[in-house]
Amino acid sequence: MGTVISIVVLCAVLFFAIRYIVKAKRRGVKCIGCPNGGENCHCDCNKE
Amino acid sequence: MRVAFAGNPNSGKTTLFNALTGRNEKVGNWAGVTVGKKEGRFKVEYGEDNIAVDLPGAYSMSPFTPEESITSGYIREENPDVIINIVDATNLSRSLFFTTQLLEMNIPVIVALNKVDINKKEGVEIDVKALSQKLGCPVIETVSNDAKHKGLREIASAIRLAGKGQVAPFVQSDIDLHDKDAVDKADRARFAFVNSIVREVEKRKVKSSESTFADKLDALITNPIAGIIIFAGVMWAVFAISQTYLGPWIADYLVGWIEAFQGLVEGWTANAPAIVQTLLAEGIVGGVGAVVGFLPLIMVMFFLIALLEDCGYMARVTAVMDPIFKRVGLSGKSIITMIIGTGCGVPAIMSTRTIRDERERRAITMLTTWIPCGAKVPVIALFAGAFFAGASWVSLVSYITGVVLIFLGALLIKAVTGFKYRKSFFIMELPKWSVPSLKRAFFSMMDRAKAYIIKAATIILICNCVVTIMANFNWHFQIVAEDAQDTSILASIASPFAVLLIPLGFGAWQLAAAAITGFIAKENVVGTIAVVYGITRFIDTEELAMTGGANEIAVAMGLTSVTAIAYLFFNLFTPPCFAAIGAMNAEMQHKGWLWSAIGLQLCTGYAVAFLINQIGTLVTTGSLAAGFIPGLIAIIVMVIITVMISMKIRKNFDKQYQLHDKSVLGVTR
Repeated sequence: MGTVISIVVLCAVLFFAIRYIVKAKRRGVKCIGCPNGGENCHCDCNKE
Repeated sequence: MRVAFAGNPNSGKTTLFNALTGRNEKVGNWAGVTVGKKEGRFKVEYGEDNIAVDLPGAYSMSPFTPEESITSGYIREENPDVIINIVDATNLSRSLFFTTQLLEMNIPVIVALNKVDINKKEGVEIDVKALSQKLGCPVIETVSNDAKHKGLREIASAIRLAGKGQVAPFVQSDIDLHDKDAVDKADRARFAFVNSIVREVEKRKVKSSESTFADKLDALITNPIAGIIIFAGVMWAVFAISQTYLGPWIADYLVGWIEAFQGLVEGWTANAPAIVQTLLAEGIVGGVGAVVGFLPLIMVMFFLIALLEDCGYMARVTAVMDPIFKRVGLSGKSIITMIIGTGCGVPAIMSTRTIRDERERRAITMLTTWIPCGAKVPVIALFAGAFFAGASWVSLVSYITGVVLIFLGALLIKAVTGFKYRKSFFIMELPKWSVPSLKRAFFSMMDRAKAYIIKAATIILICNCVVTIMANFNWHFQIVAEDAQDTSILASIASPFAVLLIPLGFGAWQLAAAAITGFIAKENVVGTIAVVYGITRFIDTEELAMTGGANEIAVAMGLTSVTAIAYLFFNLFTPPCFAAIGAMNAEMQHKGWLWSAIGLQLCTGYAVAFLINQIGTLVTTGSLAAGFIPGLIAIIVMVIITVMISMKIRKNFDKQYQLHDKSVLGVTR
């Protein structure tokens, strides 16, 4: 039972991770892991 | 209705835009010029039929910069239904120059007189009714960063009635726009008109000619020598707080929880197949946990940087660095690129599109990733903690070395391309000093934390799983014994690269593998080291204090302090992650420049690590490190290739721009 749960958890974690990346790329996100997808990290170059 | 937001840079345009739209802006690219465009629908309470278009900041309808071209072009060609002109109430005379030009465009204008709260504090009064009368359009007081959103409802109401009875208060006479003197005269006439309005409607307690405490502070902070010393001190303080004291103190608790969770997972999966247990406990929880463990350091660092930006200090830094950058042929805007680069290389590279000169733009695109980005902070923190007892000077030296390499790189590009630099202009308004908003800094920090966790839970997680499988299986897909990892898939792929790294002092396949995974995301260096060495607890303030800096990480990696710095700098200054390389490709739009950039970064990282290892080993042990001759040969080959490229570029340049073949005219040298 423990083995089954472990495998399910592992597959689920990988599935959601890959799904997030694929969806982000389809949306045109340039950088996964940057605020606003890499368009603007902490300084707005079209300043105000 | 299409409502365009136009105004000077720093007038509060984007803040007002965000307040009216609820930050629902779409981001895309303007056709023809690659500068960011923002559009968004107004919030329901302000009239969701209206589409807001945020235009880049501009001082005039006569474009001097790419951003002004966008604004000017949009207003002339797209004919928005209404223009909301955000005017900085603290600098009326400069703002109204643009306002009077907009009023000539035959488009309804509403003036949002912004930052009136600052005027109130400084005892400056503006007669809004009189101003509205003189301009011939509605003028509404706003405070765009106010929680109560002063003036927003009035603006939304005014949009419906905009344009009624509007007459341009100043009309430029017909002049030859190619005649510089005529244009100059017309601008002066406009300024005289604007100043006459300002004299009548504005009452100041403190004259702008008087020197205030803020002016004296600015004089000190922008002093060429004192300014740089102060900047170094400020950044040292940021690194000390985030990576030596507060950051690791908070991280220790987090790492403790992660370790406890890892123990639980190992228990739950005790009866599962070894590979499943390894993937879950070591690859996912251990590897990702190792990266997430540095989250408090990142959060504290970006909280402090957000405070520095919000108070106005970072703008002063750009003023200090501008003359230095110009000496090496970089645009003053490069400093903004570098500041953005401390967060992430991708938007930093994208921000180079605002640099007018193509060659300056490509130069800083190639060089900007040498400023350590947020993803490299865990790598710096790991080595600082493992080998130097968490000393903050490691971070400071990393950033200073990045800046120095940018200068040297700019000089190298200048020498290679042989182009003479023409003057580039950098105009920037110093924002007023203000008490930084803890709330804004907190949200900036949380934005950063959210992005970090998302990256850890996606890219780093998958990468760690792949590394775990490759480190635990051989090519026959049999699990390798713990002491026989050298027979694994990962070892066989990384070992050839590891041979190349022997002259740099870290010829182990584990470190080569970590460096390679760093191209996917720099945090992976930490995650991969955690997986291949089976270490998950990188932060332990108790151990560091007890053992004076050496701990299990240093022992496991088999590095000395010298080779640790060499490895750290190798990872910091070789090409960035693939996302940043993709951004470079998009901005450079030239395969030759892209590959030159990658080649330059690879060679620089290699050369810096080689020099540190060899010179450091010579100093500490009295003899050179292993692989000196092969490493030296590699460096010499790189130099020869650089010289050959230089000669080819200069030859092509001459061929392109030579007017005629001198031998035909009988001209001899």
